Amino acid sequence: MVKPRYIFGEAWSIARSGARQTLLAIGLIALSLYVPALFALLSKNLGRLSTDAETPAAVITLDPAADGRGIARRLADDSRVREIRIVSSDAALARFRRAYPELGAALGDLKEAPFPPTIEVRMRPSAGPGAGTAVAAAARSWPGVEIAESEEEIGRRFSDGVRIVRAAGLALGGVLVLAAILSVASAIRLALDLHRDEIEIMRLMGATETAVRAPFWLHATGEGLAGGALALVLLYATYRLGLNYLARSPHPVLSMFWGSFLDWRAVTLMPLIGAAAGLFGSMISLTRRT
Amino acid sequence: MIQLFRVSKEYGRFRHALADVTCTIERGEFVFLTGPSGAGKSTFLKLLFRDEPPTSGQILVNGRNIGVLPPSQIPYFRRSVGVVFQDFKLIRRKSVFENIAFVQNVLGLSRAEQKRRAYQVLKRVGLHHQMNAYPDELSGGEQQRVAIARAIVNEPTLLLADEPTGNLDPVLSEEIMRLFLEINIRGTTVLVATHDFDLIRRMGKRVLSLDRGRLRDAPLRRDASPTAVREAPFLPLG
Ligand SMILES: Nc1ncnc2c1ncn2[C@@H]1O[C@H](COP(=O)(O)OP(=O)(O)OP(=O)(O)O)[C@@H](O)[C@H]1O
Ligand SMILES: [Mg+2]
Repeated sequence: MVKPRYIFGEAWSIARSGARQTLLAIGLIALSLYVPALFALLSKNLGRLSTDAETPAAVITLDPAADGRGIARRLADDSRVREIRIVSSDAALARFRRAYPELGAALGDLKEAPFPPTIEVRMRPSAGPGAGTAVAAAARSWPGVEIAESEEEIGRRFSDGVRIVRAAGLALGGVLVLAAILSVASAIRLALDLHRDEIEIMRLMGATETAVRAPFWLHATGEGLAGGALALVLLYATYRLGLNYLARSPHPVLSMFWGSFLDWRAVTLMPLIGAAAGLFGSMISLTRRT
Repeated sequence: MIQLFRVSKEYGRFRHALADVTCTIERGEFVFLTGPSGAGKSTFLKLLFRDEPPTSGQILVNGRNIGVLPPSQIPYFRRSVGVVFQDFKLIRRKSVFENIAFVQNVLGLSRAEQKRRAYQVLKRVGLHHQMNAYPDELSGGEQQRVAIARAIVNEPTLLLADEPTGNLDPVLSEEIMRLFLEINIRGTTVLVATHDFDLIRRMGKRVLSLDRGRLRDAPLRRDASPTAVREAPFLPLG
C-alpha cells in the first residue's frame, strides 16, 4: 500500500521543483481546452436562438386604412390561435430602429411610414403544423387585408438550419475536445521527460510501480484541473469583453450569439475534462519501460 | 547467501559482460570484487540486486532465484539490498535528507523517525550538517557519502558498493571502509567493487577478480603481505 501522504508530498515536490515546466503545462492545457470551450459557448447561444426566437406562424399585412381591431377580433375567434399582436407602422419603425440603429436614423427623415401595419398571429402548440398556413389562407380574402403569409415554412427552415449547425457543431466540438485531450497528454509527456532519471532511481531504490507513478498521476491530474480552470477564466474574460464591446456598438447578428455564459454543468465539466486528460496523458506516458 | 551458477550476461548479441561465472558468497562475508575497467564488476553487482536479469545461469540471493523474480516482487527484493552506485544516483530535486529517507517515506514512516535515522547515518559518514543541502550543492566525495548513507539507512542484509571510495581521499576511504566493516560485523554481507588494490591489500579480505567477464582464481589475499595488514590503521575484524 502506498500512503496518500507520500503521494501528495511527492506530487507537490515534483510540481515545485519544476515550477516553470508545471506552469507551462498548465498554460498549454488551458489553451487546448479554451478552443472547444469557446466553441461550446457559441453553439450554446446558437441553441438558445432556436428556442427563444418565436417566429409568428402567420403575418398579415393590412391596408393602412383598414380596421385592424376588427380583423384581429375575427382572427381571435379561431380556437387554434394563441396570441395576436397588432404592430402599427410606428411600432414597426421603432422596432426596426432598435435592431438597426444606423439605418433607423436615415429612415427618420421619411414623411410616409415605411412599414405598413401588420398583425402577427401565433398558434397554440396543440394546433399542429399547417395551422398557420390555414389561417393565412382564410384571412387573405378579408377586406383590409393586403397580404397574408404563413411564416411556418420559414420558421421550420430556420430551426432546421439551427439543428444542422448544432449537429455539425457537436461533431466538430467532439473533434476539438479529442484534440485538446491529446495535446494535454503530450504536454504531460513532455514534462515527464524531465523526471526520467529520477524515476529510474526510485525504481532502483525499491519503489513499487504505484509508488513511482501515483505522484506523477496526481501531479498531471492537478495540472489538468488547473489548466481547465484557467481555460474557464480565459473564456469568461473573453465573454465579458465581448459583452462590453457589443454594449458599446451593438451588432444585429453577433449580439444574438453572445447572450449568456455556459451553464454550471459545462462550467464544472471543463476542469474535469482537463483533469481526466492530464491523468490519461500521464498514464500513457508512464509505463514500466519508461 | 549468494550463489551464482554459470551466470552469463550479454548486452546485445556480442557484448559479453560476464561469462560463465560460478561462485558463492557466504552470509556475513566481506568480499572485494576487482578487475580492470570493463571487466564486468558493475554488471556483477547489477545482477545481484536485479537491476538486470542474467542472460543465462542462476543467481540465488537468500535462497531466492532472483533471475526469475516476477516484476511485482522486484521492488520488495531491492529494499533488502543496499546499493552504492558508481555514479551515486541521487535524486537532484530532493535534499540529502529526502534522498536518504525515500524508501521510508514510501513506507509511510513518521517524519520524526525518518529524520532520526537519516541523522544517524549521516553522522556516521560525517555529513550530518548537510541534511538539508541538495546534491548539486555537494562535492563529489560528499555526494558519494550521501549515497553510502542511503545504502545503509535501512540496515540491508546485503550491501553492494560500486567504487564507493572512488571520489574520496585516503583518510575518508579508510573511514568508509571502517564503516563497512562495522556494518559487516552486525551481520550484513558486504560486496565492494574497486580498483584500489592498496585498499584491498590493507583490508585483507577475500577477493573475487574479474577479467573480461570471467572470474579468475587470483586469491589476492594470499599475496597480501603481513606487514601491509599490520600497517592498516584498523585491523580486519572479520
Ligand atoms: N547497459 C549496457 N549496454 C551495453 N553494454 C554494456 C552495458 N553496461 C555495461 N556494458 C558493457 O559490459 C562490459 C562490462 O561493463 P561493466 O560496467 O560491468 O564494467 P566495470 O568492470 O564495472 O568497469 P569500470 O571499472 O570501468 O566501472 C563493458 O564492456 C561495457 O561496455
Ligand atoms: Mg563499473
